[in-house]
Amino acid sequence: MSRRLLAIIAGVVIVFVMIAALLRLSSGGASNALATPWGEPDLQGIWTSDSEIPLQRPAKYANREFFTDAERAELDKQRAEAIGREAADDRRERGSEQDVGGAYNAAVFSTHKRMGRRTSLVVDPPDGKIPPLTPEAQKKRAAMREYQLALIQATDLCKNKLPGCEGGQYGPPSPRRAEVPPYYVTVGAAGGLGAGGGAINRADNPEDRGLGERCMAAVLPDFGGNAGFYLQIIQSPGRLSIFYDTGQGQGWQRIVPVTNAPHLPSHVRQWWGDSRGRWEGRTLVVDVTNFSPKTYFQGAQENLHLVERWTRLDANTIEYAVTIEDPTTWTRPWTVKQEYTKQSDQENRIYKEPRCHEGNYGMPALLLGAREQERAFAEKRGPDPATECTAGCGGFAFGFSDAGEDSNPLSR
Amino acid sequence: MRHGFRSSIVTVAVASAAVGAIIAVSVTRMSGQASRPVRTADGKPNFSGIWQALNEANWDLQAHDARPGAVTQQGVYPYDYARVPAAPVLALGAAAGVPGSAGVVQGDGQIPYTVEAAKIKQENAERWIDRDPELKCYLPGIPRAMYLPYPFEIVQSTNKIQMAYEFTSTARTIHLDKVEPPPDDTYMGHSVGHWEGDTLVVDVTHFNGKNWFDRAGNFHSDALRLVERFTPITPDAIQYEVTIEDPKVFTRPWRIAMPLYRRLEPNAQLIEYRCIEFVEEFMYGNLRKQQLVKRWEGDTIIVDITRKVPPGEKLNDWYRR
Repeated sequence: MSRRLLAIIAGVVIVFVMIAALLRLSSGGASNALATPWGEPDLQGIWTSDSEIPLQRPAKYANREFFTDAERAELDKQRAEAIGREAADDRRERGSEQDVGGAYNAAVFSTHKRMGRRTSLVVDPPDGKIPPLTPEAQKKRAAMREYQLALIQATDLCKNKLPGCEGGQYGPPSPRRAEVPPYYVTVGAAGGLGAGGGAINRADNPEDRGLGERCMAAVLPDFGGNAGFYLQIIQSPGRLSIFYDTGQGQGWQRIVPVTNAPHLPSHVRQWWGDSRGRWEGRTLVVDVTNFSPKTYFQGAQENLHLVERWTRLDANTIEYAVTIEDPTTWTRPWTVKQEYTKQSDQENRIYKEPRCHEGNYGMPALLLGAREQERAFAEKRGPDPATECTAGCGGFAFGFSDAGEDSNPLSR
Repeated sequence: MRHGFRSSIVTVAVASAAVGAIIAVSVTRMSGQASRPVRTADGKPNFSGIWQALNEANWDLQAHDARPGAVTQQGVYPYDYARVPAAPVLALGAAAGVPGSAGVVQGDGQIPYTVEAAKIKQENAERWIDRDPELKCYLPGIPRAMYLPYPFEIVQSTNKIQMAYEFTSTARTIHLDKVEPPPDDTYMGHSVGHWEGDTLVVDVTHFNGKNWFDRAGNFHSDALRLVERFTPITPDAIQYEVTIEDPKVFTRPWRIAMPLYRRLEPNAQLIEYRCIEFVEEFMYGNLRKQQLVKRWEGDTIIVDITRKVPPGEKLNDWYRR
């Protein structure tokens, strides 16, 4: 009788131990300190990218995945010089748009982070470059560039053959100023000059001014850009909240459901797409679709498809890898990899008030200015507004100056 | 003996099957969409999920009659109770009316404004379209974000609780751990929480005073301090109570209370309501080169409503088909 009882007890204990071991296995190692109390990998905290790595590999580092330490030190020195230099009076002709652009120096628009080890954020294709555009996307981008050039052809930018007018030439005001842009005007700085991101030299409507001036610049994926960014991740079982503090008060809140439920119906489109997450071992894999035609990422709009992979590498590091796909834009998918470093939770460094719109006095002032210019021109008190440049004029729009000693050392 | 041993194997098999089944059931409950554990891993009430207030508080916290329109004008009879819809909403018929409510203000139902503040509230109500920050898609503030007619999602972790609001993709973090105050006053407040038994108590401070409570012009200053209490009623309903204190505007603290309901649709999710874009015409339309609204006089919109009813759609025709 007592043997029988012992056998039962032993059997039940064995079963419990096995079940406990199984549960531990299936929860991805709940004993790990980098797991949440409910056993999912823990991605929580405030994170940012600590180092500066160009999105695409600059030509002179072709076929090299890493900078040497000496190169990094030299680039840091050159960048610090460009960033630290005061805007000098004599650098540009007084009263020109370039003069207005030069009222700032690179310090305002550039990241102050040290160079990272890798020569590009793009890790695939192996040459570190965004793959070639499809013929369809090339045509689309060329149409926007042509339209942009038509709108600046009567300005000093083209008269003086400055870099912002590259591909165009000086001429009389274009009748195309009255036309609708070839596609939705989005982000001025996306991908640099000629990348098709919008920034048209016109202020007929708020829509003409691009998403940045409209306080809607935040896009997915976001690699931090010139101003840098902070991500705050908070988890509950089966849900991730990611707050992106990005783009000068243009931050946004994202929810990633961990679910095998299908995406939203395909006609429901969102600025930041529709996210569906799943755990693959310790990696959160997020599939993002249903983007709006009004979003813009490096030329892709509504057909953008992202597969993000979020992995906690150690106590201080998350690896973020995203495969970017749009067969209507690029000839093949490409992948970007970035590391995020943990920031202090105590200091509340994430300041989640995207209050750009609440203080957007710039938009009405700019539109009002444009109307006043038109009135002055009509009354023969002022110049033709078509000869003035208010957007896409070059200068410091991409973090550094277009040319010379204030330009980005990586592109010199 | 042999027999005893065999029967003990059978007993173990039965016992382990039962244990396995119990574990399988509890794991299914954990991962299922529809049913959630009532408590979190650390034993707190589980507020994670999508929620929404179902009431008329965003129209007016206080008890109020139904009204014929969000904007009304004096009708042919000069009585206050005989007003008619005004131009901004006239073409929308019954879809633009305002539902009545018994109110969410506790106690005597009064909001204890100072004499001066009561006058401002009255002006706010009369100039709703000009002054309400909601119409401009500004950050809604707390507590208003909690009862806007849009869902919000709670992501409840151990040290932080995130509340993500559908309206203008805004959010707040409730800090259960130690945190430094924000660097500036805020629209959404600075939320610091703690548990009192099963009630989540949140102190909200550091407001900038630019928000309203509702569309009736109820307002506060930058001296606003809130104490919010979230108490589970059932797994799918939370009792939400707020004590409101603002010595610059109110003569004493006062309270609102309402349930928040879980959105139980299996496919419930927040859908972007990025209204900055929606309000550009309203805010900047007069500054377009070619205006879309036919008549602006300065920054005054004069909307000429044209509602031409095509043949076959005239009163009663459509229903007779």
